[in-house]
Amino acid sequence: MNDNGNTNQAKEIICIVCPNGCRISCTKAADGIHCSGQKCKRGEAYATAELTHPMRTLTTSVRTIFPDSPVVSVRTAGEIDKSKLMDVSKALGKVLVKTRIHTGDVVAENICGTGVNVICTSDRLMHQQ
Amino acid sequence: MEELQFDVTVIGAGPAGLAASLTADKAGAKTLLIERETRPGGILKQCIHDGFGLVRFGEKLSGPEYAARFIDRLPNSDVTVWTLSFVSAIQREQDDSILTVITREGIRRIRTHALIFATGCRERTSRQIGVHGRHCAGVFTAGTAQYYTNILGELPTKRCVILGSGDIGLIMARRLTLEGAQVVGVYEAKPTPSGLTRNVSQCLWDFEIPLHTSKTVTRVFGDARLTAVEIASVDPCMCPIAGTEEIIPCDALILSVGLIPENELAESIGVPLDSKTKGAVVDERNETLLRGVFACGNALHVNDLVDYVSESGEIAGAAAASKEKKCRGLVPVECDQSLLYIVPQRISRNAEMQERVFFFRSAKDMDNAMLTITKGGNLLFSKRFSHLRPPEMERLPVLLTPEQLFGNEPLRFHLEELDHE
Amino acid sequence: MSYCKRINQTLFARFGGRVTAREQDRVLYLEGELDRWDDVVAAGLLAVNHKKYDGLVNDIRFTGGEIPPMRLPKVTDTVLDGAAPDVLVIGGGIVGCAIARECAKYDVRILLVEKEHDIAMQTTSRNDGMVHPGVDLIPGQVKRHYNRRGNRMYDEICKQLDVPFRRSGQYICFRGKKLAFAAFFGQLYYKLIGPRVTYLRKKAFFQREPNMNPAISAALFFPDAGVVSPYGLAIAYAENAADNGVQVSLDTAVLNMTVSEGVITSVRTNRGTIYPKVVINAAGVFAEEIAKLAQDRFFSIHPRKGTNTILDHKASKRMHTIVSSFGTSSTKKRHTKGGGLVKTIDDNTLVGPDAVETYQKEDFTTAPENVAFVFDAQRKTDTALNIRDAITYFSGVRAATYEEDFVIRKGKWTKNIVHAAGIQSPGLTAAPAIAVDVSRMAAELLSKSRIVRSNESFNPIRTGVIRASELDLPARDALIRENPDYGEIVCRCEEISRGEIKDALHRSIPCDTIDGVKRRVRPGMGRCQGGFCGPLVLQIIAEETGKELQQIDKSAPGGELLMGAIKEVMP
Repeated sequence: MNDNGNTNQAKEIICIVCPNGCRISCTKAADGIHCSGQKCKRGEAYATAELTHPMRTLTTSVRTIFPDSPVVSVRTAGEIDKSKLMDVSKALGKVLVKTRIHTGDVVAENICGTGVNVICTSDRLMHQQ
Repeated sequence: MEELQFDVTVIGAGPAGLAASLTADKAGAKTLLIERETRPGGILKQCIHDGFGLVRFGEKLSGPEYAARFIDRLPNSDVTVWTLSFVSAIQREQDDSILTVITREGIRRIRTHALIFATGCRERTSRQIGVHGRHCAGVFTAGTAQYYTNILGELPTKRCVILGSGDIGLIMARRLTLEGAQVVGVYEAKPTPSGLTRNVSQCLWDFEIPLHTSKTVTRVFGDARLTAVEIASVDPCMCPIAGTEEIIPCDALILSVGLIPENELAESIGVPLDSKTKGAVVDERNETLLRGVFACGNALHVNDLVDYVSESGEIAGAAAASKEKKCRGLVPVECDQSLLYIVPQRISRNAEMQERVFFFRSAKDMDNAMLTITKGGNLLFSKRFSHLRPPEMERLPVLLTPEQLFGNEPLRFHLEELDHE
Repeated sequence: MSYCKRINQTLFARFGGRVTAREQDRVLYLEGELDRWDDVVAAGLLAVNHKKYDGLVNDIRFTGGEIPPMRLPKVTDTVLDGAAPDVLVIGGGIVGCAIARECAKYDVRILLVEKEHDIAMQTTSRNDGMVHPGVDLIPGQVKRHYNRRGNRMYDEICKQLDVPFRRSGQYICFRGKKLAFAAFFGQLYYKLIGPRVTYLRKKAFFQREPNMNPAISAALFFPDAGVVSPYGLAIAYAENAADNGVQVSLDTAVLNMTVSEGVITSVRTNRGTIYPKVVINAAGVFAEEIAKLAQDRFFSIHPRKGTNTILDHKASKRMHTIVSSFGTSSTKKRHTKGGGLVKTIDDNTLVGPDAVETYQKEDFTTAPENVAFVFDAQRKTDTALNIRDAITYFSGVRAATYEEDFVIRKGKWTKNIVHAAGIQSPGLTAAPAIAVDVSRMAAELLSKSRIVRSNESFNPIRTGVIRASELDLPARDALIRENPDYGEIVCRCEEISRGEIKDALHRSIPCDTIDGVKRRVRPGMGRCQGGFCGPLVLQIIAEETGKELQQIDKSAPGGELLMGAIKEVMP
């Protein structure tokens, strides 16, 4: 059950948009992609994107200079191309946070040319121990 | 020793305790929130992945962001927050609870009118599921591996096997892969995954991590540090099948084999537990069978969505803050083997006609199932579900009238798979 | 016909021509080849005769598997090179540590070497912690003598060393009318030869232990039985020894010895060559190897493995002390005194052990069948015993001789060695008494070349790490106000504070591992098995020792928990 691929048969995609985890059945046709099984429109959009250009949010952490919080959690502010997840994760290895930043502060702009910023997701650095 | 008084005391400042204390405070109760760690937030502090808060906030938040939605309200509330504080003992005096709290400033005694257990859960260990071999370094529960990775920024493995497909195990499979570690595979003794389907998809399939069902780890090898694990197929009774063993070289075994509500403190004062949930038996206000003692969140039953944990805390917080004391008139709520469990296990028959919220899990995967609630042979409610899976908890609001709840017969929940049309 | 000839006939009947016996200088040697380990052991047990010989050496070659070599420390250096102690104690188990401490009562220089990274890592920490009354020991046995003496010493030694000890007594239970009758006569036997005993009728027994198997019809109660933490006591002995000037060198294995004219002149280790005047062999399962290096091998060790299971505190409330049933595997055979169900000093129930012969001296693996076997056997005592209540299980290997008795004596041929070997159950009970005698023997050997006086400055008192949760509230409160670290709970299952963990890291025997801290002050011993506190203890060790997180081991070098910082290990 791999959700990549390019056949004309019906493909089942597990929607990851919300906890319902709808099983969406998709068929590629001349007039586009037909979906069934989803409980909402977001599911249809997800399934369509999944067959054309799958996107993901990356959550990870970056290193800091502060011994009380050696890492701080971050995520991409928007979705990025799924195939770029590993590249972005590696690129964030070069980031070192040197100030006590807040949730929402940008730690890397336009990461790997995706047009998406990477933002801090925790106020951990604000609570000096 | 000085004795401090509070209306409501909440033990545990994870998502359940945060919601409970803020709600109790809002209702006007003098509220104390006790946390043993340095900072509030509970396990959410290390859950840096996103997907939290979709139900509640309509957003995909990370764990710390979700926790911050509550923690940030604390300064504007009158909740007294004690961190690095540990409840070592509880005594009961009539309906009051007397707590002995160990803090860095000394030992404090608390008299509280209402007590809320929001003590969360702990992970099952390798020993509890019968992993044998040597006690070497390199066996971690997924939550501990997550702490090392996300809080300390240290990798506990470079090449691991994950046993159990619970959500934390799936999340860690992705997390470790993203940090350059190799996850050889996720092994699940049950025939179906234990985690949410979406997590199987986005954590395993996205990274081409294999999932092997009906297989388990039987032994670990290694001297000081783990060097390999033995995998075996299991029969339908989950017993390893001789001759199916294979050895997989790796440096760590990471376990995601279930969570157990933490109720040792609650048990110490005699709070009756439900053997199915391993949490307290509660009514719809999350009050246990001990007056003035409440339970919520994962201490009550293990949830898969934090949104419901917060809701559970709010229910307990509101009820604990309420001063009204009336006869509880509880009707037992029961389920048969078609459900794993049902919460709450009691509901009061005295209340006005109102919506009661039940949480349940089906005992097995079901397509097109009918849930029925009966009382003394009368059908009170029924609902069809197109999919039910044990890992995915269902929240079920039901409107019940006092007439429907008349009499002592229990409310019975039952699930039945319907034929496909 | 001589005994040796007779035994050769018996061996021939059993093993064909594959095994022969010969005697020399009051030692019986077995030679030949066998491919089943159980046969190797059986041949030894068949041939042994403690009255005719000083010992049995089993040199039968085992061809059915490879006997693993002794695990050696990773470190190699020269820190001990040239050391010339009066007494070299080999082995840091309970026996070696107790001997070192007793030797410190003389004005002699003592060096204790232990090949593991901590004190009490093998047999000493892998047993049930029972202080035996000596129920099934036979008059004439060396172990019976030391058990009786050792047992009587426990109250005082544990008081001096600040080690919790509870003389809670032991029940041996009997089922059915016939056995109840036998029990009644049993008590008469014990009243004649000891240990002290009380006969309890069914009703009296169930008043004391109401949750045990209702089929129990009578019990014998032995009030002299007790429980202690075996590694806690060994560490306490070692710390008190160190406080009194004993040098303790961990990660130090004896690799070779030079013996000339019946005298050990040097002992080579991985940390340099030592020139001791007297050597004490307290090397546990490896005592035979040490004896061989010392050219004084007149006994053999056949390792016997046992598995114990530890139950959660909650399930442990069912009983109050040590309860075993007559006729279970653990009391029937004379060489395992296994407690059955033991309520440990830390209030966990311990279930076990079994007894399995093995050729692997350091095989500490556990297997499900051993745990299941022990549970099945002990259900005779408590029918409600449930494997689901287990929080962990562990295995240990007993250092049994074929005589199934202790070897406590000066060397047979070599003049400057004292053996404290073949120590299996009841070695923990016996250790305090063994130490007194062995240290005296060492002093006697030393006094041939110099005058040995007593050490006037010897301080028998050790102060252990404070157990904050056991203090009464005002005392605990005062302690916290003095040092807030005692008010920060790190291990929630066992309620252990940061202060206690820091204390454990700064004692006279150094400790720098997660398990080292766990064995001293118990974080991680509870039901979560260190899931929550493990990372916190790791950070405290790093803070206190100045090491990096990645350098900290679970138990021994090579057992690091962490593999590298994230974002630095990316390929």
